[in-house]
Amino acid sequence: MTNTHGVVLDGEREGVLDCQLKREKLIIDTDPGIDDTIAILMAFQTPELEVLGLTTIFGNVTTEDATRNALLLCEIAGHPSLPVAEGSPEPLKGGRPRVADFIHGSDGLGNIFLPPPERKQIEKSASEFLVDMVSKYPGEVSILALGPLTNLALAIKRDSSFAKKVKRVVVLGGAFFALGNVNPAAEANIYGDPEAADVVFTSGANITVVGINITTQLQFTDDDLLQLRQSKGKHAQLISDTCKFYRDWHVKSDGVHGIFLHDPVSFVALVRPDLFTYKKGVVRVETQGICVGHTLMDQGLKNWNSSNPWTGYSPVEVAWTVKVDEVLDYIRSRLMKS
Amino acid sequence: MAVTEPKKIIIDTDPGIDDAMAIFVALQSPEVEVIGLTTIYGNVYTTLATRNALHLLEVAGRTDIPVAEGSHVTITKGTKLRIADFVHGADGLGNQNFPPPKGKPIEQSAAAFLVEQANLYPGKVTVVALGPLTNIALATQLEPAFAKNIGQIVLLGGAFAVNGNVNPAAEANIFGDPDAADIVFTSGADILGVGINVTHQVVLTDADREKLARSNGKFAQYLCKILDVYFSYHRDAYSTKGVYLHDPTTLLAAVNPSLITYTEGVVRVQTNGITRGLTILYNKQKRFGEVTEWSDKPTVKVAVTVDAPAVVNLIMERLMDS
Repeated sequence: MTNTHGVVLDGEREGVLDCQLKREKLIIDTDPGIDDTIAILMAFQTPELEVLGLTTIFGNVTTEDATRNALLLCEIAGHPSLPVAEGSPEPLKGGRPRVADFIHGSDGLGNIFLPPPERKQIEKSASEFLVDMVSKYPGEVSILALGPLTNLALAIKRDSSFAKKVKRVVVLGGAFFALGNVNPAAEANIYGDPEAADVVFTSGANITVVGINITTQLQFTDDDLLQLRQSKGKHAQLISDTCKFYRDWHVKSDGVHGIFLHDPVSFVALVRPDLFTYKKGVVRVETQGICVGHTLMDQGLKNWNSSNPWTGYSPVEVAWTVKVDEVLDYIRSRLMKS
Repeated sequence: MAVTEPKKIIIDTDPGIDDAMAIFVALQSPEVEVIGLTTIYGNVYTTLATRNALHLLEVAGRTDIPVAEGSHVTITKGTKLRIADFVHGADGLGNQNFPPPKGKPIEQSAAAFLVEQANLYPGKVTVVALGPLTNIALATQLEPAFAKNIGQIVLLGGAFAVNGNVNPAAEANIFGDPDAADIVFTSGADILGVGINVTHQVVLTDADREKLARSNGKFAQYLCKILDVYFSYHRDAYSTKGVYLHDPTTLLAAVNPSLITYTEGVVRVQTNGITRGLTILYNKQKRFGEVTEWSDKPTVKVAVTVDAPAVVNLIMERLMDS
């Protein structure tokens, strides 16, 4: 694997040179969301990346609120004209989506209730925008998918060559050989639209999946949060404010005095894939029964003597281990940098 | 020295090459008294399982032990059974075409026998379940107090946080009757589940087999004859030169619990969809915001580690010393 975009570690100058040559085009599909906010603001501060736009989805909040928050974040980050395309208000099979407002607050940003954004989303839907962008720049656009995968599934359904044209999709989702976070079987993003997740994982696209078996290994402790608040990071204050509600939920739910960094870790998997190891295998998603939303990967340890629901699909890359300290350092340096 | 009464066990079984090994090890274990075999489909159909159970007891000279025939269909009356004849041979015992047994099963069904023995010796009987859990589930339906009366159920089943062996999701015994498995796991009985995540650590190698063959042990000699089919299946399926000792490991977990370590939690079984037969253990380390299908269900024990060398040694010893 060539890692042309992740070479910038400490040299700003080198970064500028590098990004002039080949900034990686990125669309973030997101349901902001507190940890989404952190990941988005990190992306905007990463010179190796050219963010083409944000697409929104339900999950941490409703799609409508995700759109509002995405617009706000673009304004806050100084990109007021960046396209925000609104995604599907509901999962593929329809029905009211599950919204995790008890984790992210009723505004999705930890109940800090910012004033409304000054502008609106673009006319195109998220899936239209995704298809248009990967068609305009085939083989060049990466997607960071931080919520349920409805928009990506719709893009795949809209354009049968989408999976081939997209450069890479990094998905935050699933719990591989580990407990879920919605219930013992399922992780929240996949549970939000299991049918869509199964479409995406079996689409043949170049996919890297980062599950909560990886992301829950990384926490910002109360100390980290304090350090962040006292730092000169460009968005440190905003992030600190949003994190308070999120942190209190972690204490209640997991006894964790700090926060999990699900979305920021997935972002790091996009820009610094070298900080993870991976296993390749076919991943399917259960769409029925008590384990609905369960992600199951065939590790390829056995030669099956007959076909099964995993047979015949393209493998995806599943994050298997993570260099915890290095990823944390990367996140700290991005967030605390002025 | 305190003389402890041997633990009464009933082996629910679908013999099966590794079942045969487990039954022989049980008969050679002074810590337990085998008070009956009950039969079930899985490695073979139930009729053949009964025949093989009777045959194995005749080989062992233990025709005093009753065999009760179990269910021919799943708990939901399913007749499309998955039979693993490609693992154990068409006769279940390595294609040796042994002569039919002289004995017959008792009149009682497996479920009725299990209920009767549990009532007769409340808290004293351990069921070692080596196949799909249909008979055990039927026993809980036949007698609501079965879960309370049975001492312990030590079962081979499930794949906890690893791939299955029927397909990536499911282990064979649970896949054989997922509905029955879910009934048993949530029945409230004292259950120790031993999954393939544990039994895959216990391997009988080619060298071990040669050692068995060189011994004069009656059971060792018998097993060497039937093990070929099992070895070649493992070579094809797993590219290994050894075989997994699923059933004997589970049996020994019942005989000597100190050979394993376990965790406790709620186990539920997926009964439909592409992951039918998937076993999910919730060990209660995390709290969930909402009520889940795992909430308020009785906990079971699930094996986590095994002293594999000790298990293999014990099995070898008992088979060679026969």
